[in-house]
Amino acid sequence: MPFSRFSFPRRLIVASLLLLLLIGSMFAAPLLTSADPVQIAVSKRLAGPSWAHPFGQDEFGRDRLARVLYGGQVSLTVAFLASFIAMAIGTFIGLMGAYFRGLFEFIAMRVSDVVLFFPPILLALLVVTIFGPGVSTMVAVLALLYFPSFSRIAYSETLRVSALDFVEAARALGTKPRRIVVSTVLPNILGAISVQFSLTAAAAITVESGLSFLGLGVVPPAPSWGQMIRGARGFMEQDPLGIFVPCAALCVTIYAINLFCDRLRDVLDPKGMEDGKDSVSPAGRQTAAPAKLDTDSAAELRGLTLSLNRGKREAPAELVRDITLKLRRNQCTALVGESGSGKSLTSLALMGLLPSSIRPSAGHIAIERKSGAAVDLVSLAAKEAEKVRGDDIAMIFQEPMTSLNPVLRVGVQMVEALQAHRKVTPEEARNRCVAALDRVGIPEAEQRFDSYPHELSGGMRQRVMIAMALLCEPKLLIADEPTTALDVTIQAEIIDLLRDLRANQDSGLSMLFISHNLGIVADIADRVVVMYSGEIVEEGPAGDILSDPHHPYTRALLESMPSLHEEMHSSRGDRLGAIGGTPPLPQARPSGCAFRDRCPDAKDACAATHPGLYPSQDALRAVRCIFAPEASSFLKEACDEPCVA
Amino acid sequence: MSRALLEVTGLTKSYPGSGRGIFRKSRVPVLRGIDLCIAPGEVLGLVGESGSGKSTLGKTVLKLIDADKGTVRFDGRDLAGLSKEELRTARKDMQIIFQDPYASLDPRKPIRAVLSEALDTHNLHTGERREARLKELMDMVGLSPEFLGRLPHEFSGGQRQRVGIARAIAVEPRFIVADEAVSALDVSIQAQVLNLLADLRAKTGISLLFISHDLSVVRFISDRVMVLYLGRVMEIGPADDVHFKPAHPYTAALVSAEPGLKPKPGRVRLTGEIPSPANPPSGCVFRTRCPYAMDACAAEVPKLRRLGKTRFSACIRDDIPTGAQ
Amino acid sequence: MIRFALNKGLAALLMLWIVGTIVFAVLFVVPGDPAELLLTSDGAVASQESVESLRRQMGLDKPLITQYLDFLAGAARFDFGQSLIDHVPVGKTIALRLPRTIELILAGLFLGLITGIPAGTWAGLRPGRSFDRVVSAANAVLISVPGFVTGTLFIYLFAQVLRWLPAGGYVSFASDPLLHLKLLTLPAITVGLHLFSIIFRMTRASVLEMRTHDWVRTAVAKGLRRKLVVRRHVVRNALGPIVTVVGLQMGILLGSTVLIEFIYNWPGLSGYLVTAVQQRDYPSVRAVILVVSALFILINFMVEMLYSVLDPRIRL
Ligand SMILES: Nc1ncnc2c1ncn2[C@@H]1O[C@H](COP(=O)(O)OP(=O)(O)OP(=O)(O)O)[C@@H](O)[C@H]1O
Ligand code: SF4
Ligand code: SF4
Ligand SMILES: [Mg+2]
Repeated sequence: MPFSRFSFPRRLIVASLLLLLLIGSMFAAPLLTSADPVQIAVSKRLAGPSWAHPFGQDEFGRDRLARVLYGGQVSLTVAFLASFIAMAIGTFIGLMGAYFRGLFEFIAMRVSDVVLFFPPILLALLVVTIFGPGVSTMVAVLALLYFPSFSRIAYSETLRVSALDFVEAARALGTKPRRIVVSTVLPNILGAISVQFSLTAAAAITVESGLSFLGLGVVPPAPSWGQMIRGARGFMEQDPLGIFVPCAALCVTIYAINLFCDRLRDVLDPKGMEDGKDSVSPAGRQTAAPAKLDTDSAAELRGLTLSLNRGKREAPAELVRDITLKLRRNQCTALVGESGSGKSLTSLALMGLLPSSIRPSAGHIAIERKSGAAVDLVSLAAKEAEKVRGDDIAMIFQEPMTSLNPVLRVGVQMVEALQAHRKVTPEEARNRCVAALDRVGIPEAEQRFDSYPHELSGGMRQRVMIAMALLCEPKLLIADEPTTALDVTIQAEIIDLLRDLRANQDSGLSMLFISHNLGIVADIADRVVVMYSGEIVEEGPAGDILSDPHHPYTRALLESMPSLHEEMHSSRGDRLGAIGGTPPLPQARPSGCAFRDRCPDAKDACAATHPGLYPSQDALRAVRCIFAPEASSFLKEACDEPCVA
Repeated sequence: MSRALLEVTGLTKSYPGSGRGIFRKSRVPVLRGIDLCIAPGEVLGLVGESGSGKSTLGKTVLKLIDADKGTVRFDGRDLAGLSKEELRTARKDMQIIFQDPYASLDPRKPIRAVLSEALDTHNLHTGERREARLKELMDMVGLSPEFLGRLPHEFSGGQRQRVGIARAIAVEPRFIVADEAVSALDVSIQAQVLNLLADLRAKTGISLLFISHDLSVVRFISDRVMVLYLGRVMEIGPADDVHFKPAHPYTAALVSAEPGLKPKPGRVRLTGEIPSPANPPSGCVFRTRCPYAMDACAAEVPKLRRLGKTRFSACIRDDIPTGAQ
Repeated sequence: MIRFALNKGLAALLMLWIVGTIVFAVLFVVPGDPAELLLTSDGAVASQESVESLRRQMGLDKPLITQYLDFLAGAARFDFGQSLIDHVPVGKTIALRLPRTIELILAGLFLGLITGIPAGTWAGLRPGRSFDRVVSAANAVLISVPGFVTGTLFIYLFAQVLRWLPAGGYVSFASDPLLHLKLLTLPAITVGLHLFSIIFRMTRASVLEMRTHDWVRTAVAKGLRRKLVVRRHVVRNALGPIVTVVGLQMGILLGSTVLIEFIYNWPGLSGYLVTAVQQRDYPSVRAVILVVSALFILINFMVEMLYSVLDPRIRL
């Protein structure tokens, strides 16, 4: 979160202090040295450092310390003044252009375009030719150079912000346009503008000193860093200090501004700082015991706990807790639960695609290969894991719009998937891929093979993803919300397709289907596993769970779905069975049962024990609730023990 | 029928096509002659797939977007005839709730400022009564008044959506457009918000245009339902009738595609893609995917035919075995 | 694609015309007589005759519209009139000096690309590891050092202290290839270092961003070898933004090599330009700026074409 209201962001402290120190020392020059920066002493030309002149004297015998400090004043004043003018003009034009369109928009876009097409230094030189060098020319030139970037940024940021719903909401409320701009739009683009301001200040100092270096900027005898370097150049063999001092001053100042700018950007846009999800290197981390599998399962998780590393200060958060899950061969197991319940992480762990900040802190993973061997992709060496992914186990994702690489043709992406596991000639690869596209119901598969993803609709892309996943006839397919982003009619088509493909793959296909919609699950799954706050709370055959849920959470989920209550209507006073509150964060689960503070059936006992996943007598289903029928035998046993009673 | 609060006739809207410079493509029609009316206290549900023009319709009736053609009358007054200032004042009576609970609140404004701004705009509950009103609003949407000082990021999605609702009802409007107001929420939270809207309606007698792509959500909350496809109305009628006895082949397909626990009788599966709004089919826009399409369907645009007192369907065939007979 | 190219090409021509018009008009925007303005540089008062003769020489006595059309027609034929100082045709001088500037920039670009892209990719793929930390920190310093400072320090170090390379100057490749290359080395490294810092930063950021996209996960899930994932699904996608930044930098460099050429006595456009500015030789300044801006526009056009090849979504 950008600014917690009153504290100064920690990441900015060092950069701000450095910047303040530099600026402060330049403007406190009269206190730091009594020397006069323009006082010439020809007899002391190029004299070395002394007490009176700590940085020595220059080619005219002037005090170098004074010149650096006063020169800094000039450089900084020129740079900041110019940046400020550029910011004021540019922001105004950009803001007006984006919000009110019309003439302002034309100026903001076209005029800036033109200015941006002159290389900066050249534009400055053109103006200097006409007006002659000098400080005020300098400020004018730099402001002219840099106002377009401000109007660009202000323009695009305003467009972005105005498209956000809260600006629309203000319009819908009838708030006056002027007030919307000032109190809603402006504060939200200020971050980007201030980053641009520091960028501009750094660039302006560079250009100013460059021009002064050429003798076309600040006019002598007024001191400036560029000029000092220019002057000292001729004598650098005798007196290298002459170039070092102004060079160092210039570079340190620019560095300080750049540093400030970088930090400011981090503070305003914290997501850039995070490592993010890194799928490129999901390398093996530890070697677990060799994976083992029951004879009838395609994959198994045993006691899997996934922890998020939250830095040195905080304890890791257990995002997924103690998951024991068996995917039976040739069956479709559905994983359901609300967002954040850990469904996707569980499936990524199976694929060995966990983000680098999350690691399994306990438990075992095992997947059956075609050869019959069992492997664990999280701890397998990268080279070995590559052989398993795509061949023995495949995955399709929620967002068909972003799951395919936008710059490569569909065919290229399919062929590379095939060639990763099979030695095939290009021709054969093409034929097999076209056939696969055909099989998933893509019309004109030959042509689609050469299409780019953006030329296909969302439904088509999801079909391509499915075709690609099944190219090597994997034994296990993981589908992570494959239809959530699609329209209902398209969703129905994709579900039908998945069901048919499963029935028709001769080598057999087990599936892990992830969804938050119990209705879809009823359509496709053999078994259902319900997750809540990182734990499995109930599992069993789909029909049993959906018609007779034993866990209060599953029951509440079913109650809250309007599609399952066709007899109810709001106008008749009916209300859905909503669950109050929201799911807890993984690091703040209540003691005992994690569902306790939202559970309609909660009793005191629920806070005392963390319920286990109690299996039913026939072992077909299991529930994590101390009041479930399955739990009774376990708890009675517990009560028999004297210490508990 | 009582006098309509909102009356829309012949609403048409297109967007500029893609491409820039001299090769700009022609305009893309998004709404093509929509008629509708909403009575005081009525909830009209609007369903359709993406690109059907639902959000555009919602924003055009509020005049947040200007229509190309057609009139919108609110409480008998033509909104196009109002001056800027009059329109601003009129906005007190018509509000909107958005889909994305994260984009719909200014990340920099505490909830108190959000609600106060709404009241300030129309000079409501000024002075001492302000605080009491803010508490009352928080109460109405089921949030603790202690939360007034908090910033949006301190809330969950469902709570933010409640704040969005509080902002909309703060000015005591008579009509609200709820654009996919529950679509981004998890089921359990979605049920909370649906119940809240139903309670508000029961208590205040407000009218709603409830937009959603989820047919059963719309059926639960609405009195009447309107089905949109590629900018045209396919069917409109009482919610339960449209849902359980769909008259139009498209509605039938929508209902049947709806996932549910029990298998649906008479399953209709569509094939093919939703055509691009940039070049919609001639005649009946649904004909490229309609299982009952015949040559005549391409010839002209089917008119909405009256099937019952408040029931209309835009299909030229009346021999289709859907639920309406 | 053709339509896209045509569209962009037309826009480039239009821009060229606007830039030409501005360069022409700047002199007339300022109140007062242009000829007098140019002659009264340091507060000196110009004599009536000299103003008159300058007016005639620059064609300022003709009607404005004629001057404008003459200027455009001349520019189209690469004829920019004569220098006010040495009376050599400006076009000729530019034709002689421009290739040297381009050589320097291309040499620098080559160095910047072959170091910046691999280093940026490597750092972007392993953020926070030691390579990334060291190079990124060094780069933050590097990016804060203006080119003319690097140049000055290089001359001090390599030419004066170590005496490895000459401090500056120029001979043509034809007359002494080895010396030509020796003289090119320091300026090229100076330009290259500047480009490195920008290309490195951009590549790193771009790779860092690309690798979080869903399609990378898809590629890994397909079982592609890591190298292939990086090459085809990360670096390939990052190229688009990199090309854009490099193109923009080329344009900026066309201007800022002025300083570097000046330092190393490299007789490209810059020496000419700096003298022209100092002596207020307006026709020369105007011509150089027009030619350089035209080049910038051309580069930009090529970048847009290249981008549309790299990213098919652009060709709409
Ligand atoms: N500002 C705009 N400029 C151009 N096209 C637009 C704009 N807003 C919407 N559209 C297009 O208009 C069509 C209808 O948009 P609208 O958002 O109203 O549909 P929708 O049915 O609500 O879709 P969804 O369910 O995806 O939100 C879409 O094809 C969309 O791309
Ligand atoms: S253990 Fe208690 S709180 Fe948890 S689900 Fe069962 S009844 Fe509810
Ligand atoms: S008019 Fe024709 S195409 Fe349209 S819905 Fe009716 S039968 Fe289908
Ligand atoms: Mg919408």
